[in-house]
Amino acid sequence: MPLFGTKTKSPQDLVKSLKDSLGQVAKEKGEKEAKKASEDVCKTLQSIKNMLYGTPEQEPQTEHVSQLAMEMYQSNMLLHLVQNLGKIEFEGRKDVVVIFNNLLRRQIGTRSPTVEYICMKSDILMELIRGYETHEIALNCGMMLRECCRYEALAKIMLYCPEFYKFFTYVEVSTFDIASDAFSTFKELITKHRALSAEFLEQNYDKFFTHYQQLLYSENYVTRRQALKLLGELLLDRHNFQTMTRYISSPDNLKLMMIMLREKSRNIQFEAFHVFKVFVANPNKPKAILDILLRNKEKLVEFLTKFHTDRSEDEQFNDEKAYLIKQIKELRPAAQDAADLKAEGGTS
Amino acid sequence: MAVPADNSWPLKREDYELQDVIGAGATAVVQAALCVPRNERVAIKRINLEKCNTTVEELLKEIQAMSQCKHENVVGYYTSFVVKEELWVIMKLCSGGSMLDIIKARMRSGNYKSGVLDEPAIATVLKEVLKGLEYFHNNGQIHRDIKAGNILLGDDGNVYVADFGVSAWLATGKDMTRDSVRHTFVGTPCWMAPEVMEQVTGYDFKADIWSFGITAIELATGTAPYHKYPPMKVLMLTLQNEPPSLDTSAEDKDQYKGYSKICRKMINECLKKDPEKRPTAKQLLKHEFFKKAKDHEYLKKTLLAEGISLKAQKVKRVPGSSGRLHKTQDGGWEWSDDEMDENSQEAKEAVRMGRVSPCCLEQRSLQKVQVCCASRETRCTESHDESPRIKNAPSEFPPVAPNVQADADTPAEGAGPSAAADTLAPPTSTTTSTAPAVTGEKSKTPSPEPPQAIGDAQGKSINLVLRLRNEKRELNDIRFDFKPGHDTPDSVSRELVEAGLVSGRDMIVVAANLQKVVDNADCKAITFALNSGCGPNEAADDKGLIGFAQLSLSEEGKSS
Repeated sequence: MPLFGTKTKSPQDLVKSLKDSLGQVAKEKGEKEAKKASEDVCKTLQSIKNMLYGTPEQEPQTEHVSQLAMEMYQSNMLLHLVQNLGKIEFEGRKDVVVIFNNLLRRQIGTRSPTVEYICMKSDILMELIRGYETHEIALNCGMMLRECCRYEALAKIMLYCPEFYKFFTYVEVSTFDIASDAFSTFKELITKHRALSAEFLEQNYDKFFTHYQQLLYSENYVTRRQALKLLGELLLDRHNFQTMTRYISSPDNLKLMMIMLREKSRNIQFEAFHVFKVFVANPNKPKAILDILLRNKEKLVEFLTKFHTDRSEDEQFNDEKAYLIKQIKELRPAAQDAADLKAEGGTS
Repeated sequence: MAVPADNSWPLKREDYELQDVIGAGATAVVQAALCVPRNERVAIKRINLEKCNTTVEELLKEIQAMSQCKHENVVGYYTSFVVKEELWVIMKLCSGGSMLDIIKARMRSGNYKSGVLDEPAIATVLKEVLKGLEYFHNNGQIHRDIKAGNILLGDDGNVYVADFGVSAWLATGKDMTRDSVRHTFVGTPCWMAPEVMEQVTGYDFKADIWSFGITAIELATGTAPYHKYPPMKVLMLTLQNEPPSLDTSAEDKDQYKGYSKICRKMINECLKKDPEKRPTAKQLLKHEFFKKAKDHEYLKKTLLAEGISLKAQKVKRVPGSSGRLHKTQDGGWEWSDDEMDENSQEAKEAVRMGRVSPCCLEQRSLQKVQVCCASRETRCTESHDESPRIKNAPSEFPPVAPNVQADADTPAEGAGPSAAADTLAPPTSTTTSTAPAVTGEKSKTPSPEPPQAIGDAQGKSINLVLRLRNEKRELNDIRFDFKPGHDTPDSVSRELVEAGLVSGRDMIVVAANLQKVVDNADCKAITFALNSGCGPNEAADDKGLIGFAQLSLSEEGKSS
């Protein structure tokens, strides 16, 4: 039980003492001082967390919360915290995440002041993204990033910053938890706000898919499988119609999917099917695509007939598969081609 | 090789020398191993990602939860990496086995009719569990599967809470709404709190306190109260009866009389049906019962000394094994997963064995034991009555099936059968007018040879209705025509997607079924499952068109 004598610190005091002790930790002085400073940081973070969330004895007080938020903005504390996250102890780092996400969700009427603040201080976002490079703080940064992704304005900054392309490296690191955490953030960024991401994909089609292609060729089974699955989702989201149309016009993309249909992994085969089907069901297939399909017509029909026949329970899959087989069987050369052939008298 | 300066764990397969298998299931194996560079023994959970139906996202959630825990009573997570098609999760090795193993071994070895563990042992183990739980709850996590099988012992007698397979985030993960797991059944029925079963109000930390109380009974008597019954019966008994106690499954009423009043009181407090009335982990730690607790040396002496027979066992409970890795009553291991079909052989087996896996209890099954979601279930039942009408009279559509009206918030009155479908929901009237317009004017698709099977319908356009739910989950009728020779299922389906009427994920499946209807003159209506599935709080239902769509000829269809 809190004694009557120990008055809780004011928001101003808390932020000030956090700033001081964080400064001490960052300096990396002697072991003893460092330990003391580190303990102070953790203690202050705890008090800040309690101020935001309340304790069993004390409900959070709106006035304190808004003062605290103001102090945090004015002292640039969010950036300081993210920058020094690696130097804060394990439990303290978790508190930073909790505090950060709480402030981010804060609303005044329809406004989200922290979101507005971070929009002006986008360094914070860049710092968070780079957090994936440091093992100890990667998942903490991931949790904050995904919270940021929920806000379109912040997602937009992240999509359009050069750091965005770092995700293509992060999703391939050897530590599974970091790689897949980065992948889930990446996925949020390009799927959460659909109009925003559709526009981004259209505008940055070449750069994005050049990078993306590397994920599909990754050595890492999980990366390959996840990337393929997400590709299917992206192409089949109607907001991305332009992107899909462009993607399924490229013979190279079709070839890659046909290779992936034959991968050893059944899961990858299955995901590849869900991309491949879009190429076949395209009512306006470009000639290059049609040619590949025509050239492989017999083989594809045979392949698909035997493809995952044990999925008898999966009604949609079987419908789709039967449909693809029928479509491929009925493929004819494009009208112009047929006319050319006639004109040439079948000499070719 | 030296330990890396940053104390990190190696990420290469070669750095781990695999040793005995300590647990095995269909798609995962847990093995002891030596981490060579660190010269330290670990447990490795090897999950075959190709065979395991758990998604990478779910595995990540489990690992994220584990990685956020550093506590002396919680099994430590070290790292994880991918080896070919396997995920290797490196964890602390708890070589003492689980409390379930220990009580089973005791029950096999002698007469423990009046109780398996004595109070000091129970208090010692449970006090450590409470410290772990307190840590979880402070973290904003609910464990959701506290039971003897998830309490492990280190060889020094230390107690660890294991199994993050089902633990969920509370405070930090405000968007648990997106997470379907949270809305499904998780845990093991015998240990499950009533509010978790009811699934009406949602639940919090206190659900773990209930499971903790059940675990106390388990440690004393050797089994959870209703362990003899099938899962459905367990749900019913838990919800209808007074909370269980030590004596619930006693064969005669004095069987467990050796347990003190204070012990019974502690159990009783944990098993309050109203979660509000249960103590928190922190409060429980101060309970008088835990004054009987001793230290880990005591456990080592009393529990692990018998462990010799246990170690000879080939397969045993292991650190961090997921809730999906089940030990069967005959001591074998079985792997089941979230996607497990309720009717599958595996699921039936699970039910027969008195176990149940997350998610395999559907709400519909619950309804049979009069448990849950009365309103929705009633609607479902209604729809069973109505459905034949829809199926048998495809040309005469009621505007909306009754069950659907309630969902779509459309006034039920006045929407008589003749009040055309256009009125059922505002978006429909706009879409119905655009859809035919789009399909009508388009004839650009080059289609040199019309598909053969269209037969007598050749050249005449076919009027069709596609009935499915929009993003707001309201039922819409999309009317459009299909002109054989001009239209192809691809092109029409694509337009439906472009117009925002059909989810992109359903583009091909709609085309496939459109083809079926066009090809087969006898086929007047067809109901098919959608790839886009159903909403987060919905159960798929073909009659109510939840996760399903229906494509049919409208009145002036083929025959005209």
